[in-house]
Amino acid sequence: MERLNVLICDDDTAIVDALEIYLKQEGYGVEKAYTGTQALQALSEHEIHLILLDIMMPELDGLSATIRIREDRNIPIIIISAKSEDTDKIAGLNFGADDYVTKPFNPLELMARVKSQMRRYTALGSIALKNGILKTGGLELDREGKEVRVDGEIIRLTPIEYGIVVFLMENMGHVFSIAQIYEQVWNEPSYAAENTVAVHIRRIREKIEINPREPKYLKVVWGIGYKIEKY
Amino acid sequence: MDIKLRNISYSSGAKLLAIIIVWLGFLGTMGGCILWLDNRQAANASSYTETYSFQSTFSRTLYNTVEYYLAVPDEDNTENTAGDSASEDDNWPQVNPIDDRFPTMVNFVYYVRNTETGQWWSNLDAEETDPIGFIQKQPSTVFFNGRTSDGNIAIMEDIKGLITDRPYEVYAAVAEPLQPGDAFYDYYVDFNRSKVLSQTASTVSIISFFLMALAFIYLIYITLRRDPEEIKTQRPVRLYTDVHTLLVAIAAVLSLTIGVRTSMGIPDIVTFVFLAIVLSLDIFIGLFYVLSMAEQIKTGQIFTNSLIYKLGSVLKGFLRLAFQGKVFKVWMLILLGGYGFINGLLFILCEQSYYGFINGNFLFMVLLLIAFNAGVVYFIARSLVALPQIMEAVKEISAGNLDYPLDSAIIPVSLSAFAEDIHSLQGGLKKAVAIAVKGERMKTDLITNVSHDLKTPLTSIINYVDLLKKEKLENERAAEYVNVLEEKSDRLKQLIEDLVEASKASSGNLTITGEKVDLHELIMQACGEYEAKIQQAQLALHINTADETIAVRGDGRHMWRIAENLLSNVVKYSMPHTRVYIDIASDDGYGSFTIKNISAFPLNISPEQLTERFVRGDESRSTDGSGLGLSIAQSLTTLQGGEFQLEIDGDLFKVTTALPLWTEE
Repeated sequence: MERLNVLICDDDTAIVDALEIYLKQEGYGVEKAYTGTQALQALSEHEIHLILLDIMMPELDGLSATIRIREDRNIPIIIISAKSEDTDKIAGLNFGADDYVTKPFNPLELMARVKSQMRRYTALGSIALKNGILKTGGLELDREGKEVRVDGEIIRLTPIEYGIVVFLMENMGHVFSIAQIYEQVWNEPSYAAENTVAVHIRRIREKIEINPREPKYLKVVWGIGYKIEKY
Repeated sequence: MDIKLRNISYSSGAKLLAIIIVWLGFLGTMGGCILWLDNRQAANASSYTETYSFQSTFSRTLYNTVEYYLAVPDEDNTENTAGDSASEDDNWPQVNPIDDRFPTMVNFVYYVRNTETGQWWSNLDAEETDPIGFIQKQPSTVFFNGRTSDGNIAIMEDIKGLITDRPYEVYAAVAEPLQPGDAFYDYYVDFNRSKVLSQTASTVSIISFFLMALAFIYLIYITLRRDPEEIKTQRPVRLYTDVHTLLVAIAAVLSLTIGVRTSMGIPDIVTFVFLAIVLSLDIFIGLFYVLSMAEQIKTGQIFTNSLIYKLGSVLKGFLRLAFQGKVFKVWMLILLGGYGFINGLLFILCEQSYYGFINGNFLFMVLLLIAFNAGVVYFIARSLVALPQIMEAVKEISAGNLDYPLDSAIIPVSLSAFAEDIHSLQGGLKKAVAIAVKGERMKTDLITNVSHDLKTPLTSIINYVDLLKKEKLENERAAEYVNVLEEKSDRLKQLIEDLVEASKASSGNLTITGEKVDLHELIMQACGEYEAKIQQAQLALHINTADETIAVRGDGRHMWRIAENLLSNVVKYSMPHTRVYIDIASDDGYGSFTIKNISAFPLNISPEQLTERFVRGDESRSTDGSGLGLSIAQSLTTLQGGEFQLEIDGDLFKVTTALPLWTEE
């Protein structure tokens, strides 16, 4: 298998160097750039499979660079920025980024996200969907094989957790309250002061999400219920 | 094309033309009216025989004729008794005296007969075989005897009196076709001329009037279409409207008097020219008055540009000065003294006029006294009525409602200065609040921007500490130091995030959406998230809730942040092996959840201090957390329209978050 290359672009050299170490540990090839223009240049000179891109940079900022890259490329772009406002995240994702990580990030979480994006990018179109498979983003539910996969990796779930995932995946995008989930999965009426469902959901999130506090698939709608996001 | 036409129609030439049309139209209307009035008899009559002059001359002539034949001949009756066989020769000489006494009435025919004697007199041709028939055929014919009368001309009663109880019959008429030579013929000609003249005059009058009206409407229309500002700049100074009105009224009365006086005399060309000049002056004065008023209505100056208004404002200004500041007391005394003086004066005048000591109408004096007092009462009453309004405004302002409107227009002059001071006070407060809000916002922006700059180096620190940890460090102490570094860099990260959030929450620089949030669901979810940590902290969780859902109006994400902060405090600061209680309840329009736990450390601090930024319950600052959790929770609750309450009772720590219940709208 050929080596996968990651382009790191940040005006802070210390961050670039640190990320280089982490990425090389994971077995990726690394190209470095310190401005948006340099990133575009590196992109035209080398074969790149994923870009880590800062927003606030001299010459050409990360959002403009994203727009320019998206004109002819569909490689994964993960934005790493100190800007943590919701509006910044929405703008970044709308301009074509695949993921948005705020500084200061946990390096291990970032590596997990890189791997996730890389798997999705390289495996694109290679897996034929079998019957009975439900899929949202990188999350797959194989009801025949009773398996749940994230980005192709099998996740180990308890029977209850699996039941919750099946129920939510079959009704993707809909929000269900704790009582509804309990009645559906346990098949018996729920008790008011019962937080078992919430505990199970948290455990599922810890297993399927890269950052359980900012879930991508199994989302908490506070004060209303839970849902699995439809992508 | 359309635009071009419009431009032409609004040009000054068109305006001048319209003015000329109004002028000529007015002259035409008035001239026509005068002519018509002059010939109104002819206009109203259908025939010349109906005219007054015709009828009076006819009556006079008839009277004279009858009197001549009846009154005079009676005295020398003997002379005429042989009338039975009277020949023409006998009759003719008796006719002649009429011709001598009156102008020849060539068209007047008569036949007078004595029914007893059969004697008759007439000026008809002797060949006329049927004189009575001929007379009765005429359009203007009269017959009467002592008892009855007939005919189509009104005749004087005294003619009838001449033959009352006497055996006479009188037939008379004006024979047609009329021959020139007498007054009847002149009347006939005059009538026909008048008839034509009056018709022409009324036609001219009506057409002129319509032309004038059209031109006048056009002038008003283009005046009202003009831009008020343009009018103002064109005519910055104007006659006061009321003075103008008075002058126009005087001119109208004057010209009416002159007109009536002049037209009373015999109409001649000089009179006509003079009248035309007066009327022309009138129409120009009138037209420019109306146009000027129209312009001032358009510019809204119709009332403000009047002498009465100006005098009123000057008086108002004086009164305002009187009620302002330092001279207030002096002015009050002067005003009170003035009131008493005028009242006394009026009272004396009343008394004096009642006893007739002075020349004056008692009733008028009393009315004056009442009017004066009524005016003063009105003035004071208005002030008193306005006072509660000002008081209300002050109350609202002191309660924090800085946008409460104080309409200075309805405040009377005595309190307007006071009202304005309050108004500016309101403005000052508003300004101060705006500056404070702006300052708070700037602070938030500053904190946000600084946090961006802090985050970048912190990223490197976290990354390199992690890398360092992975290195195989020989020195055990070094490994320990790296752990400290890791812990502190994580804490720094948390601090920066909380700092930004706290500043946003306290300045209200956050978006809040009002969603339906089920408190029970929220607490279950939050406890689910914290279940592991609660167990780790060796705490037992007890949730008390009513079975029904308690839905409040709030923002789910902010609600979670509040619950998270509170639970995180519980986990961090609770005494191990104690119970934590969460009560969910609804009461008085609010849904609330209360968290109670036992503090691991003595809480020698007030609840107020706890929610202050950077104040924490424990004195040591070594544990994790920023101390901003409660402050953020409080700010978020307040921003969502809720109430946040902290209670400390010994080691018992109790916090209640209440939010308005959800109501369907």
